[in-house]
Amino acid sequence: MDIECSRLLPSVCAVLIDPKQFVADDTCLEKLLDWFKTVTEAESSLLVLQENPCLTELLFHVLKLQDVSSSILSFTLRLAGIFAAHENSFQYLQQGEVLLSLFSEAGPLSRPAWEDPSVRSGWIQGVGSMVQHERAVQFLCDCGAIDVIFSLQGDHSLFVASAASQLLVHILGFTMRSRRASPLNTQDCDWPICAQMIVEHIEESLRSGTVPQITQALNVLTTLFGRCHDLWTEVLWMQMNPLVGSLLEKEPLLAAHSLVDLLLSMARSPVFSHLECDLWTLSTQALNRLSPTQAGPLALGILNLKDCPQTLRTQAFIILLQPLACVLRAACQPYGSPGLLDESVNDSVITDILLSSKSSCAGLLCQTLAHLEELQPLNHLLVDWPHAPLLSAVITVLQFCNGLATPASSFGDRLCNILIGCFRVQRSALDFLGTLSQGASPSELVRRVVEILLVYLRSPDSSPTVLKKAFQATLKWLLSLSKTSTSSDLCPQTQHFLRDLFPILQKRLCSPRWEVRDSALEFLTHLTKHWGGRAGFRQALLSSEVPELAEDLLRDPESYVRASAVTAMGQLSSRGLCSNPIGTESKNDEKKSLFLELLEILSTDSEGFPRRAVIQVFTEWLREGHTDVSKDKEQFVTKVLQVVSCDLDWEVRVQGLELALVFLVQTLGQYGTECPYAVEISSVTQSTLLTESLQMLCRVKLFEFIFSALCDCDRPVARKSCDILLYLKAKLVHHGSLQGSGEACTASLGTHSTAWLETTLRKWKARDQGQPGGDTDRIDCQGPDDVLEVLRSVDLEELQGTLAKSSDHIEKSPQSLLQDMLATVGILEENEADCY
Amino acid sequence: MPEIKVTPLGAGQDVGRSCILVSIAGKNVMLDCGMHMGYNDDRRFPDFSYITQNGRLTDFLDCVIISHFHLDHCGALPYFSEMVGYDGPIYMTHPTKAICPILLEDYRKITVDKKGETNFFTSQMIKDCMKKVVAVHLHQTVQVDDELEIKAYYAGHVLGAAMFQIKVGSESAVYTGDYNMTPDRHLGAAWIDKCRPNLLITESTYATTIRDSKRCRERDFLKKVHETVERGGKVLIPVFALGRAQELCILLETFWERMNLKAPIYFSTGLTEKANHYYKLFITWTNQKIRKTFVQRNMFEFKHIKAFDRAFADNPGPMVVFATPGMLHAGQSLQIFRKWAGNEKNMVIMPGYCVQGTVGHKILSGQRKLEMEGRQILEVKMQVEYMSFSAHADAKGIMQLVRQAEPDNVLLVHGEAKKMEFLKQKIEQEFHVNCYMPANGETVTLLTHPNIPVGISLGLLKREMALGLLPDAKKPKLMHGTLIMKDNNFRLVSSEQALKELGLAEHQLRFTCRVHIHDTRKEQETVLRVYSHLKSVLKAHSVQHLPDGSVMVESILIQATAHSEDPGTKVLLVSWTYQDEELGSYLTSLLKKGLPQAPS
Repeated sequence: MDIECSRLLPSVCAVLIDPKQFVADDTCLEKLLDWFKTVTEAESSLLVLQENPCLTELLFHVLKLQDVSSSILSFTLRLAGIFAAHENSFQYLQQGEVLLSLFSEAGPLSRPAWEDPSVRSGWIQGVGSMVQHERAVQFLCDCGAIDVIFSLQGDHSLFVASAASQLLVHILGFTMRSRRASPLNTQDCDWPICAQMIVEHIEESLRSGTVPQITQALNVLTTLFGRCHDLWTEVLWMQMNPLVGSLLEKEPLLAAHSLVDLLLSMARSPVFSHLECDLWTLSTQALNRLSPTQAGPLALGILNLKDCPQTLRTQAFIILLQPLACVLRAACQPYGSPGLLDESVNDSVITDILLSSKSSCAGLLCQTLAHLEELQPLNHLLVDWPHAPLLSAVITVLQFCNGLATPASSFGDRLCNILIGCFRVQRSALDFLGTLSQGASPSELVRRVVEILLVYLRSPDSSPTVLKKAFQATLKWLLSLSKTSTSSDLCPQTQHFLRDLFPILQKRLCSPRWEVRDSALEFLTHLTKHWGGRAGFRQALLSSEVPELAEDLLRDPESYVRASAVTAMGQLSSRGLCSNPIGTESKNDEKKSLFLELLEILSTDSEGFPRRAVIQVFTEWLREGHTDVSKDKEQFVTKVLQVVSCDLDWEVRVQGLELALVFLVQTLGQYGTECPYAVEISSVTQSTLLTESLQMLCRVKLFEFIFSALCDCDRPVARKSCDILLYLKAKLVHHGSLQGSGEACTASLGTHSTAWLETTLRKWKARDQGQPGGDTDRIDCQGPDDVLEVLRSVDLEELQGTLAKSSDHIEKSPQSLLQDMLATVGILEENEADCY
Repeated sequence: MPEIKVTPLGAGQDVGRSCILVSIAGKNVMLDCGMHMGYNDDRRFPDFSYITQNGRLTDFLDCVIISHFHLDHCGALPYFSEMVGYDGPIYMTHPTKAICPILLEDYRKITVDKKGETNFFTSQMIKDCMKKVVAVHLHQTVQVDDELEIKAYYAGHVLGAAMFQIKVGSESAVYTGDYNMTPDRHLGAAWIDKCRPNLLITESTYATTIRDSKRCRERDFLKKVHETVERGGKVLIPVFALGRAQELCILLETFWERMNLKAPIYFSTGLTEKANHYYKLFITWTNQKIRKTFVQRNMFEFKHIKAFDRAFADNPGPMVVFATPGMLHAGQSLQIFRKWAGNEKNMVIMPGYCVQGTVGHKILSGQRKLEMEGRQILEVKMQVEYMSFSAHADAKGIMQLVRQAEPDNVLLVHGEAKKMEFLKQKIEQEFHVNCYMPANGETVTLLTHPNIPVGISLGLLKREMALGLLPDAKKPKLMHGTLIMKDNNFRLVSSEQALKELGLAEHQLRFTCRVHIHDTRKEQETVLRVYSHLKSVLKAHSVQHLPDGSVMVESILIQATAHSEDPGTKVLLVSWTYQDEELGSYLTSLLKKGLPQAPS
């Protein structure tokens, strides 16, 4: 702990003890505890206690206070725990019986403040921190704290109850870790007393027959087996197995959700994952007993395991497939369509759930679809992954949802009534449909996929979220189709799909809902990015009105759409799919060039998203050497930087710097290449070329942009600028261009700060304003010499170090926290209430 | 028994990070999804583990409702939907949907700038999240699904703020979010109809305060700005993008106009246009005065307030600058503050809450020597003022809302425990309803008595009215009829209509009873005695002696037979239909008492 903090600490403790004082900001105490934790981890906690007696006094004193606030009491309990985590500090505090008075039944437990959940939570956290050595465990057993934790498991605060269960796991794990030999059985007297107490408590709870207690016990076991993979857990399980097994036999089944969690937690533990483990028998039993909704997560968990008995996997997979198999059977399928499961599988429970109500039907189907979606990437692990029947089933679900399915039975009729227009199921099914694009599908099914996707994209009833998912699924299918195509161009099926798709895309680009317009533009951008070079796509796109409509959306009232339109147009233009050339000059008055249009957005749009999109497009154009940009790169960069430098959004300025960097690299990159095969250029020629390049960079006013950015009040801008200048400096040093002449140069080498730079920039501006015809608002540096002078003078390396620190590093310091706590006392009481 | 369960994950006995889970008739709704600006780690977001332990988020939650655009109510939303994985519907009003992304963007940028954090939601995530939002109109009943419906009411507080009623069948709860019961410069007062919810979940920021008039605070603010400008000083007002800033702008604009002041007022970061755009777009959400004058002059088209350029900060002479961010912890407001702090003629006015550690927090707590980057000490000589313009309902306002909505129970959130305790007692005393104030993680369970709506057939209603039973909402009446449950509907109809509708035949149910009477005379004579006795007792009923020797009273038939074993005893067979059950029972008891002695 540094001296300044040590000096402030007594006053802070005095404030905390004083019931008349008021710690206004509720985050201060939390931050103070964070700091104490860091301090005690870094240095001897005993020394901290001894050198700062105010801390022990605080612990003592708080208990004596009758009207102590619950937040201070909770803080004290947590603080005591942090120090007691270290054995020597524990003993030190024990000598004064501080811990006994804080954590035993005589402590806060008997006070009215105990009613406050924050105090109970503080007590648990204090105990939790403390359990790092055996003495602490012994202490807890002796003072009756373990019983308190048992009772807190049933606390009416979820957070307290959950923390109490976690604490039991922590204590059990710790006590078992600290003993040497592995116990043979739980009756063995070698088990530590504390562990015995906890195990007995778990057993009692499992036998209790009441749901809350059973749930608590199962949760403790779940967390324990999840965290601790020592061999003793297997011995513990031998003891618990009959009790858990008997739970599975009870009617009705209690705490099903927690049972599933326990089985999965065990299945993931290396201790239980061997094939002979009785866990698998239990899991089989559970899959049979649980309702389909409860069994789903267990089935998914089992299928995600690397090793488990094949029969169990098959059973689990059947459980996941059953709901879709039911749906598939409920509708008439085209001739030869593959079925999903053998008809002999009894599905009466599933049909009951599907028909009982709309929400239970949607719930089961959504869960199933989500589980299967999660499994799809692992389908290689499932030898019998029924890709085609699943695809057929999900198409059928989507058909049911929009009334296109032909029911094959009265069950189908009723299912149709329930599912029609159900957005929830539509969203899940479209997600899964998209995932199923990975994998070889028969062409007949692909035709059906295309059909259903077009129906959803076309449907006027589709909600924006459903449409977004439909676009995403379509994109996935289109891309997967192109992967399977052997030729460089699109297959006839895809071309046909595109012909149907573009009129729909046109319609969606004109949707009254901005979400739909945006999703359509995003779709267009992605498709163009992947297929921009394919003739079939180009033809279909150019024969539609999509490019014109996308361009119109540059003037959309919704800024998100404008931004997406900018990105889409940037992509189209890069691929030469834009009817409007991006020439930097307006060739005719009727229609502005795309560049000017985007430049106007960059300079006038009131929202940041479109402006950010524009500068990203410009950077991309420059980077990839867009034909139209390359024609007059200098003018392009000059215009863009001129606009960007005035932007109020720092992210636009940072992106502007990225553009400047690309230009800089393109201009200077050709020199000093370290490629061993590069053509040697004489040093004189290099120097001349470099000077010319610097002059060019000055002409586009690149340096004045970068230099002003270095003084920017927004840290990321200054940081990026500093990085660029350091790159430039390294480049110039390499060529010896930075070696100044004369004593003045040597004297000022790397000694100036940004304040000097600001003054220099102002001087340049003033000089510039003095010139007739000069742009009065611009800072104009004079030439390469001025640039070199700045690079020589400013200590960029140090600046980089300062800027790398986040701007709140001072705010976060412990001194600042202590000072703030002292300064705030009493003053902010009124202000504090005025939250947001 | 049906129940409503409420578990605050945030805003339970605290202010900030509002997030309340409500379970009503099996539907789970999350009310607000806010963040705490005071933390930079996991603690800034609510602890969602409680929800995730109940299975997949999207399966568990039926919807998320956001009351307004303040970050303590919506700041965790992109994290929740794009990083934690909620993929279901999100509801908010149209203005909230429009403004929310701006504030989220603002906050994202501050976080990224300040901490250089990478594990934070991105701009794309904010957009993807907003695309999941379904915008609602005021008083529009929105069906989330077949059973769950929601409805928004005007809440004042900030543009687009709404209270939400959540209803499943006959059970309902109202969540107020933050609200203001008194109109301000640009917004109206909160209003809700007498919806009598089972539960009203209300904010209680000012649970114990009766706020002084906002006019006084405004006068004070204008006076301070005016005085500073008059003596040639500069005024810095650090603000967040949208909200309170617009109110202060209107205030200054009107004052400048009235006083004919010439000192320039600047607004940084181009927010005036943005704000102007949204206030124009959502003019219907502003107060009556603004709406009325809108045709002649748009209150948000400022004459005196101009866009700020960073070079202006060095200009000589007085000026007023609104700059972001509001806590003076980065960016433009901090840069201007650094330039102006050393001059005692200048003033900084903090109109809102500042997180510990920020420069705003430090100067508000009276610190005058601040250590800046590079260990430089900045001496603050300029005047520092705090002006609260927050628009929450005070204790009076909260009571007024409870009175207006007439809930069965009240639950307090978004306030401090001590203050809540006071208000809780007051509410319980005055309204005789239960009032709860759970801490975060505590669950309140309320048992409800659901009303099941039953339709009544016109025929039956007319019949009942003919009996003089006119319908009256305040006085419940007993109705007789047959309850038909069909297609998830309940209807009360006459039994005839029920039979007809259901295609059923009527069965006659007759009760029979044997009464033994000691009478040595012949059966016919006994019958005659019965007849005369009943005729004299039941004057209002039709009593007939039928030719077959039986007696008929309404539908009740009485026949006499001789006892097989005892000739001195006659057995009276009494039988009656279900409709005359009352009379039948009466007659039986009457006959059991015996017949009067016949005159000999």
